[in-house]
Amino acid sequence: MEQIDAAIIGGGILGCFTARNLCRWKLSVAILEAREDVCTGISRANTAIVYPGYDHVPGTLKAEMTVRANAYFQTLCEELDVPFLRCGSLMLSYGEQADKVLQKKYLQGLQNQVPGLKLLSAEEAYVLEPMLAPGLHTALYAPSAGTVNPWQLGIAACENAVHNGAHLFLNRKVEAIHKVDGGYVLETENGSLFARGIVNCAGLDSASVQEMLFSPSVRIVPTAGDYLVLDKSVAPVPSRILQYEPEQKGKGLTVVPTVEGSLMLGPSDRENEIDYATTETGLSFVREYSHRLLPDLDLTGVIRSFAALRPNPQRTDGSRINSFSIEHPAPAFWSLIGIKTPGLTCAQELGFYASRKVAAELGAEPNLSFDPLRKNIQSVHSLSFEERKALVGNFPDYGEVVCCCEDVTKAEVLEAIHRGAVSVDGVKRRTGTGMGRCQGSRCEQKITALLAEVLGVPESAIPKDGKKSEIVWGSRYDTL
Amino acid sequence: MIHCELLVVGAGAAGISAAVSAWKAGCHSILLADRAVQPGGILPQCLHEGFGIATFGKELTGPEYAAKLSESLQRTDILYYPETEVLSIAHEKTAVISRRGALDQVGFEKLLLATGSREKTIGALPIAGTRPAGIFTAGQAQERINLLHQDLGQNILILGSGDLGMIIARRFTLEGKHVIAVLEQNAHYSGMARNYHRCIEACRIPIRFRTTVTEVHGTGRICGVTIRNLETGEREQIPCDTLIIAVGLIPERELVRGLGDPDWLYSVGNCRQIYDIVDSAVAEAEQITRKALSL
Repeated sequence: MEQIDAAIIGGGILGCFTARNLCRWKLSVAILEAREDVCTGISRANTAIVYPGYDHVPGTLKAEMTVRANAYFQTLCEELDVPFLRCGSLMLSYGEQADKVLQKKYLQGLQNQVPGLKLLSAEEAYVLEPMLAPGLHTALYAPSAGTVNPWQLGIAACENAVHNGAHLFLNRKVEAIHKVDGGYVLETENGSLFARGIVNCAGLDSASVQEMLFSPSVRIVPTAGDYLVLDKSVAPVPSRILQYEPEQKGKGLTVVPTVEGSLMLGPSDRENEIDYATTETGLSFVREYSHRLLPDLDLTGVIRSFAALRPNPQRTDGSRINSFSIEHPAPAFWSLIGIKTPGLTCAQELGFYASRKVAAELGAEPNLSFDPLRKNIQSVHSLSFEERKALVGNFPDYGEVVCCCEDVTKAEVLEAIHRGAVSVDGVKRRTGTGMGRCQGSRCEQKITALLAEVLGVPESAIPKDGKKSEIVWGSRYDTL
Repeated sequence: MIHCELLVVGAGAAGISAAVSAWKAGCHSILLADRAVQPGGILPQCLHEGFGIATFGKELTGPEYAAKLSESLQRTDILYYPETEVLSIAHEKTAVISRRGALDQVGFEKLLLATGSREKTIGALPIAGTRPAGIFTAGQAQERINLLHQDLGQNILILGSGDLGMIIARRFTLEGKHVIAVLEQNAHYSGMARNYHRCIEACRIPIRFRTTVTEVHGTGRICGVTIRNLETGEREQIPCDTLIIAVGLIPERELVRGLGDPDWLYSVGNCRQIYDIVDSAVAEAEQITRKALSL
């Protein structure tokens, strides 16, 4: 049986960051991911916001971590070579009830020491965002808020963990866990494994993973939300994150300028949903509220809609959860259950927190050769003409544009495959192919062909995203 | 830096015709840059006949039409760069082009934009549900079937009864696939009568008017859709393993977005307006080219 020190269940963004941080100690570390790639679940689709930290109850771990994580985010993104846009956010009130909410968040934010927080008058807010619908009361401005691409960040953390010696076991769904002397045995679909410690980062499945051994005090009630994405060419667009606070208890709307330059609108909340399907009512809600908040926004520029799932934790005893629900049911067994918003913001903090606890319990020595740096796939798009010319001259594949909307070259696609992409969406998550206005209708053919060629399989074996999602069924030449 | 009098972006029917007519009119410094491996734009993947009645007096297939264009191009000394992406165009009358192993700046006097169109995708439509594998645009399906010889699925549903939708419906039928239906939101098919008779009627493909897709079902591969009758509001679930989106073309003008309307820029072909017939695109492209050169 394979033996390791620390097993991380789940290769989402939290699992990837836990692995990265566990590598700061002299431990053998492995991520067990059920699917064929990392960051394919809730890490793949969410609001992409790096929160400033005024939303959380002062004194909680959540409040403390969010403010600290936000302050550190630029450095984190530099270490991992991931784009980060500190664009600031405006929480918007159009009525007296919402004014009170803003006032409360403002005071909470001051207590949490959120930097630069300001309550703005309507006039001040219109100067910052002239597109806002008339009738604004007040706005809560948080200059430290930002946006990041969630899967890019998660993949970067995973690559950095692997670079520091972590093992990545894909297609290893954990089916049972047994407590044994000195640790745990994890039964997976591809063989068993002994681990001295476990960090459960299984996202939507985190409660059921813990239940394999101990009963958790929370259960996961997923909430689904629908989003729309606008093409980069849509103008004008707001330049900050906008959070519309509803006047009555109910649905708000968030508008997010992404690091890729597009605009994301959403979500419409639906409780107790477990699949990634959008709904007609959800999508029309997002359209309607977007139009209400930004009357001049060109919604004909929608290029994509998607649904995201949030693993909402609920205490089995009904009590309220104000902070992260982190459980420690047994020695060297830590569960990050139902880490919803701001899990993306705090991924590094939470990963560090869990790994420090596990490392202490396992009596591990610090790993002084830990290297926090990771380089992203060299993208040509951001280069100057001279830089790009030199690169193309040295590496001819950089001259071949594969995705014409997002300007991604063959060299980048090949590098993504080399780094672990096995599906069309795996390439997309690593390079941005297919994210533009034609949504892959012109480059998908080329990408499936490159995947098949490099992986040495027929094109009919290339999935779009995950099991049983093959794009073509075969080729006439297969039988010749 | 490469210099030319005339830069033509796109070697589809309009681009080649424009370049060749410019050359015939005496402009002998022409660079024709195109993304594809072979000339002809969308024509090589249009295996069906019906092209060229006005120009050649008989119905040609797409590849035959493309071959004629290619021959006319070869009779000139136009500098033709296939597999070349034009990355940007600047006010200073320069463009940046990228090819395997080479990135160049091109200086020009006049520019003919012949970048064609792109297809509207499912992302732009108000269709809820999942986004599994098995959803293709009509042109994408045509490329995969006709040029890459791939098998895309067995039970096919087609959204949109424009020419592309009707032609791909026939193509799937000829491939031995089951086309469940062509769905059209209007009360009448939107393509040409000729295609309706030759594709829908001749292949006995069911067409359902005033009907649209509201939701896609399936994880992994598409397993069906919900359709809605726009008259009655009635909904129905239809199983399918492939959904073809054939809801229209958008002129591809991203390269010149933000340039305004400079006097050195001319547009021909589908990036100017969507043409039903290639002959009209070609005729107008030649006319515009002559005008461009006389100024």
